[in-house]
Amino acid sequence: MWDIGGRMNIRIIRFLSQATFLGIVVYLALGLGSRSFENYCPFGGVEALYTVFTERQFTCALAPLNLSILIGVVALTLLTKRSFCGWVCPLGAIAEWINKIGDKVWKKRPHLPRSADKYLRLLRYVVLAIVLYYTYTIGDLIFRGYDPFYIIFSGNGHETLGWISIGVLAVFAVLSFFQPMAFCRYFCPLAAFLDPFSKLGVVRISRNKETCTDCTLCNKVCHFGVEPMKLEKVTHRDCVNCLECVEVCPVKDCMQVKAF
Amino acid sequence: MRVPKLIIPALIVVFIVIGILIQPLFYFPTTEVAFGAQGDSTVEFVVDGLRCRGTAGFFTNLFNGVDGIESITTYATTNSAIFIYDSKKIDPDRIAMLFQKEFRMEDGSFHQFFSEVSRKEY
Repeated sequence: MWDIGGRMNIRIIRFLSQATFLGIVVYLALGLGSRSFENYCPFGGVEALYTVFTERQFTCALAPLNLSILIGVVALTLLTKRSFCGWVCPLGAIAEWINKIGDKVWKKRPHLPRSADKYLRLLRYVVLAIVLYYTYTIGDLIFRGYDPFYIIFSGNGHETLGWISIGVLAVFAVLSFFQPMAFCRYFCPLAAFLDPFSKLGVVRISRNKETCTDCTLCNKVCHFGVEPMKLEKVTHRDCVNCLECVEVCPVKDCMQVKAF
Repeated sequence: MRVPKLIIPALIVVFIVIGILIQPLFYFPTTEVAFGAQGDSTVEFVVDGLRCRGTAGFFTNLFNGVDGIESITTYATTNSAIFIYDSKKIDPDRIAMLFQKEFRMEDGSFHQFFSEVSRKEY
């Protein structure tokens, strides 16, 4: 966890954080906890908002914990951008680790053109709108069968869609293998919901353009294609504060974590 | 202002814990039904099977026409049901017996939907 200079290796700490939260969700998914793993998903809180405000009720399978965790995550996002995605989300962790396998396989990874990537990122807002519209009007979690988080941790269980859900998982895995964080970039409705809060995030990465050597290492390690080298303050909504760019930067104090 | 990198995992832990701790703010009743009687006593049951709005509605309907109950408030979140009742007409044992009864299913078998886990009398 400590390098030769006595500095904390933030990559290992982040890995431990992701592994811990993944372990907690697996523990709950195995039925060993007092609550369902679904109750710890902040997106469940977004899905519950409508019935909570109109009827003071939770849609079946959702609970107060979904909403209270959502409030915690929104507050966290206002402070540290989408750090929940980079440090906590088990689905993000799985996508990232699949992508790391891809790194070992690809000699030259195929890349989407930047303009295609930019417009595809808008898809997640469409996903968010569709999921919320149908959840609010029907009053049930009808998209469970298409949700990789639910399919994985329920073991393709109750209310999934058999081969369709297995197909969704296969697409999730293949996309993660080709494009870093593809599900999170293009389809994750929670990411879409958190985006406006992330834009306001107080703790963000700053680049010192005076000392920067334009080596592009920070761009290469960014899972979300944010391209920190083009920015002085990384205010991009997709920055999850994973700090990979800070760690990889060869110039001392060129990339720093700053508040405001 | 430069901040230490460890502020991020530290804040994550703090806000996840806060998120878990504030959940009682959202413990809303799942159903609240008033009956005709005037109650003088209260009993709270934790009931296995009381899980959501559907089961709470079914649970409450079991007491339609039962004399001596002023109101039933259910909380699916905590699997609990609070009864205000007239102690001269009904008692907690009789209430528990009513919600623990077995129902005949289509295939002829019998199924018990609810069972008492614990109770607290006020």
